Amino acid sequence: MNKISLQECSKLALETGRIILQSGGTTNRVELMMHKVCQGFGFEDSESFVTPTGIFLSLGDGDEQISTRIKRIEQRRIDLGKITQVSKLVNALQADIHNSRPLGETRSRDFYQELVRIDRENPYPTWVINLSGGATSGFFCLLFGGSWIEFAIAFMIGCLISLSLKYISKLPVNNFLLNALASALIVLLAKTIDTWIPNIRLDNIIIGGIMILVPGLALTNAIRDTMSGDLVSGTARGVEALIITIGIVAGSGAMLKVWDLLGY
Amino acid sequence: MMRPFDYLTLMQFAWAFLAIIGFSVRSNLKGIRVLFTGLGGGLCWASYLIILYYTKSMLLSVFLAIILVCIYSEVVARKLLTPVSVFVICVIIPLVPGRSLYYAMRAYISGQSMQASKYIFDTLMISGTIAMAIAIVASATNLILRLRHRF
Repeated sequence: MNKISLQECSKLALETGRIILQSGGTTNRVELMMHKVCQGFGFEDSESFVTPTGIFLSLGDGDEQISTRIKRIEQRRIDLGKITQVSKLVNALQADIHNSRPLGETRSRDFYQELVRIDRENPYPTWVINLSGGATSGFFCLLFGGSWIEFAIAFMIGCLISLSLKYISKLPVNNFLLNALASALIVLLAKTIDTWIPNIRLDNIIIGGIMILVPGLALTNAIRDTMSGDLVSGTARGVEALIITIGIVAGSGAMLKVWDLLGY
Repeated sequence: MMRPFDYLTLMQFAWAFLAIIGFSVRSNLKGIRVLFTGLGGGLCWASYLIILYYTKSMLLSVFLAIILVCIYSEVVARKLLTPVSVFVICVIIPLVPGRSLYYAMRAYISGQSMQASKYIFDTLMISGTIAMAIAIVASATNLILRLRHRF
């Protein structure tokens, strides 16, 4: 079997990195996985530099030939399933090397097809995603001391927020505006329901909704990146967490104030 | 104030468990992992409540609870062939200070700046504590793995 070309290998590695980074993987993991892919297809000499918004990958074949590619990452959404699956795929590649080397063209074609399949796949239909958003919101409402009727309202709001997040994120809005709009919508829905149903405490319902939006991923990744020595990504993700938080506060605060001014 | 290990703690554990299951399904996690992230989330909140009962110190309880669940994720994620960060992201969610953030915002809007600054301080301290706990466990694991690799 013959080795695949330098260009092809760097394309595969970059595609692997792109999927993991877009789904919210840590910088360290993206670099490690790209290195493993290059190693698997027989190119030991690879250097990469990854930030949350772009990947730089340079691959050499030991002689004078070098292939360098840059990939800009535009939109990111949390998808922990994809990170897991791609990691598993790359580790399977690693296991293959120990048995029989080198990996040739057929293996690379399979690998690419698997990547495309993982990238396209949606493991759950939309209604399951929306219901689980509702479950998160509702059970957090109960956790912070809500009653059953508040649980029902928070569940409904969570479902509606998950549904509308899907459509808001299709618009060309940035992360700040996305979270501000979503949290404003939470407060608007909660206040509207409050005018119909008496004797409910809005605080727990709104907090339940906000828990869907809190930047747990950005916080975790910021710390883990900084600890593994990727200072650029660590700082960038820390700022991202801060911006998301400010967006949540600005959106819900503005809506609460508007509702007060209207005098209901 | 609830006693530890009575049915109220158990119920709180169940709510956190179900909430985190919802969260991990929403981020497309599949299979048995969903169950284990939910278990981690429940463990996180329950251990926070129990430690809070004995020590009466919020930050210490957050710190210890996060350390506990980070160790849990490091162990279980490796067993399930999952990236550790995937687990950590899901299990810390119950302690992320969404509640004090909301109260800070509400106090700020109604003009009570003393209350607002108290809640903002809480929010910052809790996030800082969570960050510190994650950092400690991540570096300790890194160190242990390197040492084991060497010898």
